[in-house]
Amino acid sequence: MDRPGDPMTDTRSHFHQELDQLEQTLIDVADRAEQMVGMAVEAFCELDLELANRVVELDSGIDDTYLATRERWLQLMARQQPMGGDLRMMAVLLQMAITLERTGDQAVNIAKMAQAAESLPPVEPMVDRIREMGDLVRNMIQAGIDSFVRRDIDEARLLPAMDEPVDRLNRNMYRQVVEAGPDRERLEYATKGLMVSRALERVGDQVVDIAEHVAFLITGEMGEFDESGI
Amino acid sequence: MTQEPVTEEHRTVNADPTPSATDAAADKLRDVVADRETEGPTGNSTIFGLRGLTVYYADFRAVKEVTADIRENEITALIGPSGCGKSTVLRCFNRMNDLIETARVDGSLTYHGVDLYGKNVDPVEVRRRIGMVFQKPNPFPKSIYENVVYGPKIGGMKGNLDDIVEESLRKAVLWDEVKDKLDESGLALSGGQQQRLCIARAIATSPDVLLMDEPCSSLDPIATLRIEELMLELKQDYTIVIVTHNMQQAARVSDRTAFFTVDVSDDGQRTGKLVEFDVTNRLFTSPSKTETEDYITGRFG
Repeated sequence: MDRPGDPMTDTRSHFHQELDQLEQTLIDVADRAEQMVGMAVEAFCELDLELANRVVELDSGIDDTYLATRERWLQLMARQQPMGGDLRMMAVLLQMAITLERTGDQAVNIAKMAQAAESLPPVEPMVDRIREMGDLVRNMIQAGIDSFVRRDIDEARLLPAMDEPVDRLNRNMYRQVVEAGPDRERLEYATKGLMVSRALERVGDQVVDIAEHVAFLITGEMGEFDESGI
Repeated sequence: MTQEPVTEEHRTVNADPTPSATDAAADKLRDVVADRETEGPTGNSTIFGLRGLTVYYADFRAVKEVTADIRENEITALIGPSGCGKSTVLRCFNRMNDLIETARVDGSLTYHGVDLYGKNVDPVEVRRRIGMVFQKPNPFPKSIYENVVYGPKIGGMKGNLDDIVEESLRKAVLWDEVKDKLDESGLALSGGQQQRLCIARAIATSPDVLLMDEPCSSLDPIATLRIEELMLELKQDYTIVIVTHNMQQAARVSDRTAFFTVDVSDDGQRTGKLVEFDVTNRLFTSPSKTETEDYITGRFG
């Protein structure tokens, strides 16, 4: 399924080139989504309004690509009626398009928290934890896309374990709100931080979903990973 | 008293679609999927058993060592590139290969457990039970009525011929279109109608299998879809084996699909072989053989 379309032997080389293009588009979108998550986390941690605005702008690009991808996807389904590995690839590409569009939306949610928190005093321990979550989630996106590009099922299976510390950090984040103290502004910042944490946790789950689809692409078996990635 | 807990449980499920109700629905769906993937669409019994079936035309080995079970009341599609032996195999099912003098069959082919090529088997009786529909509609140059009763007449079938005509034409979903012109020539019908007439003619002898050799290849898309719909109706009463060049057709109508391809030996001899035989849902989404994958995705070599 990752063989390049050779017009000498490939009777559907035009279609396979289109599939390759669609795949490349989504890999690019994934890179952009990863950067957006990083920028949004940075914007919240540094209360950098300019950076937050930039994330919101970038998301409209992701949305446009998403719509164009869906349109192209439908055309290919209608005109080419793919089978076998091509059919599985189409299923995975659509799922990835949807998932990455949502990842972009989560980055925007984080950026909006940054905008809303601009005048508030940061709660330091929380900032460190959100930064940590942001790094973990960015690594997950990279690993998920790598597993897709290389059709590497072993790497795909690592994702649930990578998601575990993200979930743990998110579960414990409410303590930061409790410990933010009675100061109203600190409390408000901490509440927004909790929303950021929740958004990052969602992105982590979305990447696990991508990894499950990579496994489906390779094995033909559709299923949800448990924590050991099986 | 013992009924009570069951009723209670029912009420709970109906009143409130709780997670447990959702789980039950998901379990059910999983069962359906699992059934499809293991037993296939039906647990029907085998009608044709092929074991190492090999067909020669004189010294030429057309297809080698085919082993498969065709099940009752299913539609089985045989697909593969030209020269892969799929039509040759189809012709074995009703001994049409007998008509070719040099043809010879090795291995075994059973029909309801009986050796089809056994000494006491009458090929004419075989062809009454196992009807065939060909690539090009080939009605006899006779009236619609005469086309349908032709088989029953020469078979000496008793019973009301008018009833046989109506029943056969109804089953072939042609009755409403031709009931007022049964004495008109079968050749005056459109291509799609002619093909349905041929199906009615095949049905008229009360077969239990219908073999179809690319039955839609000369039809337009609408007539093709009509025949496909008809096949889905007919499998309630008959077992259908279809050879088709149209993969989408195989995917649309069949329960199981057999993929054949051609082996080319060093001295250039081309021999057909069965590569993969599986539930259609699986063969077209996750085939287990690379050769199948290459064929259905259009990648060769």
